[in-house]
Amino acid sequence: MSEHVEPAVPVDPKNDFLVLDDVHTHFDMGKTLLTRESKGVVKAVDGVTLTVKEGEILGLVGESGCGKSTLSRTVMQLIRPTSGRIFLEGKELSALSDTDIRKERINFQMIFQDPYASLNPRMTVLDTLSEAIRTRHPNVNGDALRARVADLLRTVGLNPNQMKRYPHEFSGGQRQRVAIARALAPEPKLIIADEPVSALDVSIQSQILNLLKRLTREMGLTMIFISHDLSVVRYIADRIAVMYLGRILELGEASDVVDHPLHVYTRALMSAIPRPDPTSEKTRNRIVLQGDPPSPMNPPEGCNFWPRSPVEHDERMKHEEPVLTEIRPNHFAANCPFCVQAAAETEPA
Amino acid sequence: MALLEVKDLRTSFYTRDGIVRAVDGVSFSLDKGETLGIVGESGSGKSVTCYSLMRLIPEPPGRIDGGTAMFDGQDLLTMSQKELRKIRGKRISMIFQDPMTSLNPFLRISTQLIEALRLHYDVDKKTAINKAIAALEEVGIPEAAKRVHNYPHEFSGGMRQRVMIAMALITEPDLLIADEPTTALDVTVQAQIMDIIKKRQEDLGTAVILITHDLGVVAGTCDKVNVMYGGRMMESGTAEQVFYEAKHPYTRSLQKTIPSLQTKGEELYTIPGLPPDVSKPIHGCAFYPRCPYPKTGKPEGDRPSLVEMADGHCYADCGFCDSSAPIETVLAKNDSPDEVEQAGAAE
Repeated sequence: MSEHVEPAVPVDPKNDFLVLDDVHTHFDMGKTLLTRESKGVVKAVDGVTLTVKEGEILGLVGESGCGKSTLSRTVMQLIRPTSGRIFLEGKELSALSDTDIRKERINFQMIFQDPYASLNPRMTVLDTLSEAIRTRHPNVNGDALRARVADLLRTVGLNPNQMKRYPHEFSGGQRQRVAIARALAPEPKLIIADEPVSALDVSIQSQILNLLKRLTREMGLTMIFISHDLSVVRYIADRIAVMYLGRILELGEASDVVDHPLHVYTRALMSAIPRPDPTSEKTRNRIVLQGDPPSPMNPPEGCNFWPRSPVEHDERMKHEEPVLTEIRPNHFAANCPFCVQAAAETEPA
Repeated sequence: MALLEVKDLRTSFYTRDGIVRAVDGVSFSLDKGETLGIVGESGSGKSVTCYSLMRLIPEPPGRIDGGTAMFDGQDLLTMSQKELRKIRGKRISMIFQDPMTSLNPFLRISTQLIEALRLHYDVDKKTAINKAIAALEEVGIPEAAKRVHNYPHEFSGGMRQRVMIAMALITEPDLLIADEPTTALDVTVQAQIMDIIKKRQEDLGTAVILITHDLGVVAGTCDKVNVMYGGRMMESGTAEQVFYEAKHPYTRSLQKTIPSLQTKGEELYTIPGLPPDVSKPIHGCAFYPRCPYPKTGKPEGDRPSLVEMADGHCYADCGFCDSSAPIETVLAKNDSPDEVEQAGAAE
């Protein structure tokens, strides 16, 4: 059986809310000084096809350097894709000019990891939020504007009488709430949250996760939630995409991906999560991945996970790129027989 | 005799806005080869405790107000700087949270690795470099002989943290203090780093103090656990005691907040309210305002001290709440509308 397999994730740019169609984002490292040889190309995002339904939370999981942040910045059009197309509500974002993108960006906003760096330290919360509100409502002024800022602060669980404060007067969790309020201010339809809780304490993490989940439900938002921690993503996301070296290795309903992973990489990610149970934690068998992911400048051919995979790959899978295939209903995985087999054989994490 | 015996350690910061009692009477002991986890939220005083032991508190505004820390028969808190320098970096080493900022970006890894060796032992540079290469191999850096001369920016975050571990362990210390060593790292790298610390600890017989806010990390690695809150210890015991037989409402609440334990679809549990402001005097139990357990009265006066039970398991019992019930039933009761109605009807 060697017939050609079409990429199995169906995309419909006209009807789906957000569509990524074979998106590649490469960074050219330039040429060497004297010999003018190319220093190579970093393939940060290397052929991602995804759809996000309206009102859903898609969790994007992967290690540092897997391209998840580059992918989110590509969706935001902060970095233009090298090839491939991105559609939001049928409109091709990747074809818009820079001026048009600015106008369009009120519909999709971003929350960053570090609330210490993502807020302007010289602007009060009122200034920051007013500026963001005016991107959609340029004519709102005075008391009406203050009322909107107060509403936003209440929405994210802050006291409106704190609006005259500067970012340094808030704790980390409160700052992240301000950053969320700013993302909500232009009334966007899509929110991209890039590791929004990684810099926070465990107890504060839960508060921010609850807030994000409640807001997406209440305001009918769509969200892409990026994290390296599957235990966090499992909780908040409806569907999960697992990314490795610029490609999607697994995609499916959150419960399917977490409880019945198809790819051994997802299994390894699950097993890396420390469990708060001394007895089982000291005895259980974990899949500990060795080393770091290979450099995306010179990624391995074929099933790109083979150098770190706990199972040996044959020559064919070291050269032939596995296709994202619907192995179970609505549950896709890069169809490398070794990785899929290994995931099925290892004990549930 | 214990390797480290800390008694009633108190560290305060004298600021313009008042005295911040960051650590307010902490006692614990640690044997050779043991691992102690110190768990708590930001501002609970867990880092200040360890910085005090290393005498790394900036003075002023900080000051160690009292207590003793006997390390192998010597008091770390009162010894002279000269004596301290003989211990710090040789017999006690430290790993910091952020591997990006704790290495000097201008110096090669080799220079930084051998610094402690050359200071504390009479070794020539060549031997020291060879030891450094061996140390890097131990922590799993590939091509160590070549990479030892690289600069910090040429390593990834996980690699840098491994270099930090190699550096901390190169003098084969008796005690390693790791302040949130994996917080800035990916879960996969976190697992690797914890494995390396564990393995090196077994090889060298080093005692480890692990500071973290993540109870999950503690479970797999620690023999003993201290739970800190508002500058004091709320509960201490073996990992099994603290995880399976937690007594203090705070420990139980903290366990409840771990995302991986919670069922999907329900709202994640969060402890209501904020940690206490340690710049103001705390009366009674510091956790009282956030405690979910039903109480028979408001704790007043001095903060409750640790009560030791027969098996060495200690907790700070304020005496006003009955913390025998599991937290799930307490929370379910608090949430249940019937209860509220009944309470309303009774009034």
